[in-house]
Amino acid sequence: MGALYDFNLRVLLPYLPTLGWGAVKTLEISALAILISFPLGLIGALMRLSESRIARAIGAGYVEAVRNVPLLVVLYVLFYALPASGVRLDAFTAGVLGLAINSTAFTIEIIRAGFAAIPPGQYEAARSLGLHRLQMLRLVIVPQVFRIVLPTLGNQIVSVVLGSAVASIIGVSELTYQTQSIGSSTFRYFELFTITALFYIACVQAISLLWRLLTGRAAHAPLGT
Amino acid sequence: MLASGHLANYLLLLLKGLTITLELSLGSLVLGSLGGMVLGAMRSSGWRALRAIALVYIEAVRSIPFVILLFFVFFAVPLALDIDIPPYPAAIAALSVHCSAYMGEVVRSGIESIPKGQWEAAASLGLPYYRIMRHIVLPQALRVMIPPTIGVYVSTIKESSLASVIGFVELLGQGMAIREANSLRNTADVLVAVAFGYFVICFSLSQLGRYLEHRTTHDLQPAVEPSRGAIVRPLVAGRPETQAAAMRWGQTDVMRRASETRSCCTSQHALVCLRTAHNRLGRS
Repeated sequence: MGALYDFNLRVLLPYLPTLGWGAVKTLEISALAILISFPLGLIGALMRLSESRIARAIGAGYVEAVRNVPLLVVLYVLFYALPASGVRLDAFTAGVLGLAINSTAFTIEIIRAGFAAIPPGQYEAARSLGLHRLQMLRLVIVPQVFRIVLPTLGNQIVSVVLGSAVASIIGVSELTYQTQSIGSSTFRYFELFTITALFYIACVQAISLLWRLLTGRAAHAPLGT
Repeated sequence: MLASGHLANYLLLLLKGLTITLELSLGSLVLGSLGGMVLGAMRSSGWRALRAIALVYIEAVRSIPFVILLFFVFFAVPLALDIDIPPYPAAIAALSVHCSAYMGEVVRSGIESIPKGQWEAAASLGLPYYRIMRHIVLPQALRVMIPPTIGVYVSTIKESSLASVIGFVELLGQGMAIREANSLRNTADVLVAVAFGYFVICFSLSQLGRYLEHRTTHDLQPAVEPSRGAIVRPLVAGRPETQAAAMRWGQTDVMRRASETRSCCTSQHALVCLRTAHNRLGRS
């Protein structure tokens, strides 16, 4: 090979549709994982703040266990270790589940921090109005928490999209997987990874921008009407 | 022998993998932190060009999955430059690049947390840039930087598990090798042991971070008006200053301030305050 690498994108033209479908798959598993993990994150955060010692312990244990273990190990456990105990998951399900398990732990922490940021006066006021616990949460606290955590949840969406690349290793046919498999047949790794990296950059920046546009008004709106 | 299939037999192999993971992480954390310092200084410098370069680097690296970065270094760069990069240098390089971008953001926010007046005061005393940094800004910024730094370190150590994919045998690589050697057996326990290994490293690191954060914030004694961070911390620890502060400001006011200080107080601490407030409500 010469001194200069022959940067050749034309070789890859026939493979572009495959890459495109990979990108769609990436967004699909990310979206599923987020749809699963955000509601669970709210439930987990409420558990961590509950008065029951057991619920708090379960919540804390889950968060610490998942946050301190690599996503890849979680995926391997789901994909390789679970079948041994009789539960067989295909790569796609294992990938979505692993991402969701991972993202739930981080979402719990984000939402919990949101609850912690609510001034105690809000709880006091809600109680003195005679609202019971569920009403207080639903009408007073959670709407405010929602506004506080919106920006951080945007970061979480981005980190799920980035994390979804790890799912390629257990064989989910998303973007990173397709990039690698095309690379192994064409050997144009440099061009391929450049394209894929650019896609991820564009995707992440677009998500951040879109999220800011969508939630900007909600985050800055005055509380209460 | 591996063939016996008992966890005790391959524990030694896993421990070896653990030390290799530690070595790999340590190398990339040191390199990444140095890079992060430079990037953070660039991001908060007066030169537009330096700021722009650092911004593009940080944003680009933070928008690319680590797997892609790693594969790029391992598969693409050797092809393009016509050189051979073995897995170990590839993993260290990719991890350092990853860590430096995230650390750059941490350092930038640390530097920006120092009020401008301090820079101006130091500059008017005639101190050059690096001495302002070394003697005035960094010692204070480091305090703010501890929790996010620990977060970046933990995530870098976790990402290091991906080095096993390019054939570098660290903790996870060792675990997968043992799994393969015992393909006929149920080797779920190996994976659980690997997970436990990562948990021990990362959990102890975050506990260390919590301890350091706690200590450094306790050094801040409340002067005329206690700074917000200084109030929150003693409140949690239940130290005498708390009572003093609580009496001076009235309990509720301290509580309110405690929950307002999201930046200097971790959610953990705010939560304790919140719970105290709850208990107080319950009693009255």
